[in-house]
Amino acid sequence: MMHCTMDDLLALRAGEGSAWARQHAAGCAACQAELEALYQRVAQLKALPTRRPARDRWPAVRDAVLAEQRRRRERWGVWGLAAAAALAALLVFRPFWTKPVNAAELARVKEQSATLEQQLRRYDPDGRVTSGRSAALAAALEDRIAVVDGELAQVGPSQAQARPADLVTLWQQRVELMEQLVSVRVTRAAYVGL
Amino acid sequence: MTISLAVPDLLVARAKSGDLEALEALYRAFETPVYNLALRVLRVPEDAEDVLQETFLEVVRSIKQYRAEGHLWGWIRQIATSKALMRIRHDRVRETEEWHEESGAGGTSERTSGTAGMSPSGVPAQIDLERAFERLSETSRAVVWLHDVEGYTHEEIAEQMGKTVSFSKSQLARAHARLRRMLDEGVAR
Repeated sequence: MMHCTMDDLLALRAGEGSAWARQHAAGCAACQAELEALYQRVAQLKALPTRRPARDRWPAVRDAVLAEQRRRRERWGVWGLAAAAALAALLVFRPFWTKPVNAAELARVKEQSATLEQQLRRYDPDGRVTSGRSAALAAALEDRIAVVDGELAQVGPSQAQARPADLVTLWQQRVELMEQLVSVRVTRAAYVGL
Repeated sequence: MTISLAVPDLLVARAKSGDLEALEALYRAFETPVYNLALRVLRVPEDAEDVLQETFLEVVRSIKQYRAEGHLWGWIRQIATSKALMRIRHDRVRETEEWHEESGAGGTSERTSGTAGMSPSGVPAQIDLERAFERLSETSRAVVWLHDVEGYTHEEIAEQMGKTVSFSKSQLARAHARLRRMLDEGVAR
């Protein structure tokens, strides 16, 4: 007598059995027992004891996270330095590359940016308690500043001559973002009473 | 294994901002289910711990992309499964297969006419399902665990493994045929 295969039994369990398998299993005690054993095995698999790790791997994960955050900050610093150096080079070696209004405006926003950088340093993020919302906002602002820094670095000395207005706009954007970041940090420090 | 892993939205938001305390809280909430899944698939505790670590490194890196569509455990489990399967694909785990694929006995098309070794209730006496399960190949264990315990569909397993749906189905049938045979013969004892 032909009986159900394991494929047939699994299909029956999934409600996808063929007409033949359904009909056969309905009248065959052996196949019904096999199907029941299959259900039992699956139930026992689900009931196997939960195993727990012998060692704590969180310290390794945490160290990797901290190292990544450090690298990110350093990268951000390098971008900022590169952008500042490019700008300084422009101002020193090409004083007449554009209209005076652009040069003056550029110097002004650059100075504003430097002042804001100093303010930010006073609110070192690593040493302070943070609320989730403000930390998320600060992270988003930092990301946007990094993007602007990247664009500033891309403009560089070679293209800056041809695009002075772009450069001023980028520095203005940077200053606006920095102001928001300072505001978030100062508010947070006040919030946690530091 | 029943898992209840509800995580407050605020904790997820803090984790997304890079808050280490929140990330550790997520790790503590999910380390056991992730480890358990990896261990059941890979069998070797050190490999399962490595998968646990790799999974959470990925969680930390990608949590900003998590859109809160569906349960967080579903998202983390997807990462853990992917890491465990990657280990199988890269042959970095020790092969524990003791029942050869070529062996005709226990094949999926073998008719299940013989119920030798079955108790009257249909359940083999003295079973040690855990040990029998561990003696399956990594691929078979992965398919059985993901399908029968974690509730993955064959389509999802096929996608995760980069195989076809029929591969997943045939692996499951083959694995169950082997489990049945090992338990009937008392091999796992």
